[in-house]
Amino acid sequence: MQSSARRMGVMTDVHRRFLQLLMTHGVLEEQDIRRLQKHCYKVHDRNAAVEKLEDFIHNINSVLESLYIEVKKGITEDNGRPIYALVNLATTPVSKMASDFAENELDLFRKALELIIDSESGFASSTNILNLVDQLKGKKMKKKEAEQVLQKFVQNKWLIEKEGEFTLHSRAILEMEQYIRETYPDSVKMCNICHSLLIQGQSCETCGIRMHLPCMAKYFQSIREPHCPHCNDYWPHEIPEVFNQEKEKEREEEAGFSKSSKKSLRSRQQ
Amino acid sequence: MSQSGASPYYLCDQSLISCNEQEETPISNVAEEGIIASIVISGPLEEAPATESSNTPQDSQSSCFSSTTSLNRSDESFSNQEDEKNPSTLMLMPYTNNLSACLDEKMTLLVQFMLIKYQQREMITKEDILKIVIREYEEHFLEIFTMACKRIELVFGIEMREMGPASHCYIVCNIMDLTYCKMRSGEETLPRNGLLIFILGVIFMKGSRAPEKEIWKWLNRMGIYSRKNHVIYGEPREFITRDLVMEMYLEYRKISKSYPVSYEFLWGPRAHAEINKVKFLEYLSKINDSDTPVYSSQYEAALRDEEEKAKISPRLIIPHKAKKRPKATLRKRPHC
Repeated sequence: MQSSARRMGVMTDVHRRFLQLLMTHGVLEEQDIRRLQKHCYKVHDRNAAVEKLEDFIHNINSVLESLYIEVKKGITEDNGRPIYALVNLATTPVSKMASDFAENELDLFRKALELIIDSESGFASSTNILNLVDQLKGKKMKKKEAEQVLQKFVQNKWLIEKEGEFTLHSRAILEMEQYIRETYPDSVKMCNICHSLLIQGQSCETCGIRMHLPCMAKYFQSIREPHCPHCNDYWPHEIPEVFNQEKEKEREEEAGFSKSSKKSLRSRQQ
Repeated sequence: MSQSGASPYYLCDQSLISCNEQEETPISNVAEEGIIASIVISGPLEEAPATESSNTPQDSQSSCFSSTTSLNRSDESFSNQEDEKNPSTLMLMPYTNNLSACLDEKMTLLVQFMLIKYQQREMITKEDILKIVIREYEEHFLEIFTMACKRIELVFGIEMREMGPASHCYIVCNIMDLTYCKMRSGEETLPRNGLLIFILGVIFMKGSRAPEKEIWKWLNRMGIYSRKNHVIYGEPREFITRDLVMEMYLEYRKISKSYPVSYEFLWGPRAHAEINKVKFLEYLSKINDSDTPVYSSQYEAALRDEEEKAKISPRLIIPHKAKKRPKATLRKRPHC
């Protein structure tokens, strides 16, 4: 029995406010989460020492467990930035997406999701998605309308758009991973290193295994001649850099962005 | 009523552990029945088969049952309101193990439903709750609802407030003084709140209502014009007459017997419920860089209003069928 080893959480207004604000934002990057945590302490418990983030979140999660909700940490697939979101652990009929969108809009998302999962690159082109507009359930949707709905998905952080192509936002991956793995067990791709859902990544040309870019960056860090971990064949692709929070800050400062202006940009995008 | 800040709530350790060990059952079974975030797929929530909770296998649930009831009991013992002992939880004992576990699951769903409505700043009706979440367990509505309210208050600091005496409509509110805190530190504020606070301030200073003309006079001074798209607020007229009204922060009414027809703005029920007027006034005087005495009549009124709010518990107490109980509800909108 692990009960003795397990720490029990204590919910105070600091934690509650943290949860409320995290919910409002939907998904936050690690540095924003740290700022948020400090802010909550400042507001509700000035004199207390700010708890280490990992423990803070662990405590909250131990309380959320019985509600099948969790503050989940993930990394963005393209550049390995750590992100956090409040997600449902159980796949239940009550969900954010269902409340925000109409039946035909949800079906559009589902179609886009299927295309994304089936694609090699993890991206589905706008054209391909829009061509499926006639097959949607519910009220009839025109292509023009569908374009706007896709933009709505981007604004609400369910999809990301790059040069006319769409892929899943890291928030969507965090929230829907379980659902996707259950619903598309045959076509879903997994990362060979972290064993979680893979939408964007690189694959070995010989044996076909796949890896997330950030997972690969860590795995091949400071290895001069990278080889496939499965078949040992030479790894042909370019290895990306490991995401480094400190370097990122320096880069931001050099580029002349103040943290506050970037932050307000982000909050406006919500 | 929970006091903000001071009292931490402890959840019974054992209960969570045993529930955790049963993790695989309720979740995976629910998923197998094909429900879900196939929300993404089925869209309308009504499609979710109602039978999923009653299908969960009994044996795996039985050990969860004892832990969850102890969890409920420990919730009760930490509740500040002595008179709120919920007899209906104790009445569970004669029922089968399965029922309690199902009710617990419904409670969890209801909490998630409330969270969504909170994020969307939408009202919940009892009808919605019955139709979408509770379904076949209608006679246990009170129990499930009360459990969910307690849990969400404990964990998230959010409460459900009834809109009117018998309206069966609830708004999901913040217990903690969130709005004021947002005012102080600009960081987490969605910029749109700034405009709302400003308008509320104008209305407040005018007494309890401000004619639309007046509001626009002030907005124009800030470079916000009707029908001219603003980079943050979009089309301002739509934002204030529709969006903010929908979120119940503002009320937009026709002035009776006005010719030509004109409208006025008032604080909406959510503004009344969420904002501490005394602090609001202090904030206003701070940004206007003036002393509170200038607004002394409003200050007095605000103090009185907050006193009234504190006297009448804002927490929803649903009339219990079995016992006669004082019915405390939000009183009619005070003049601010």
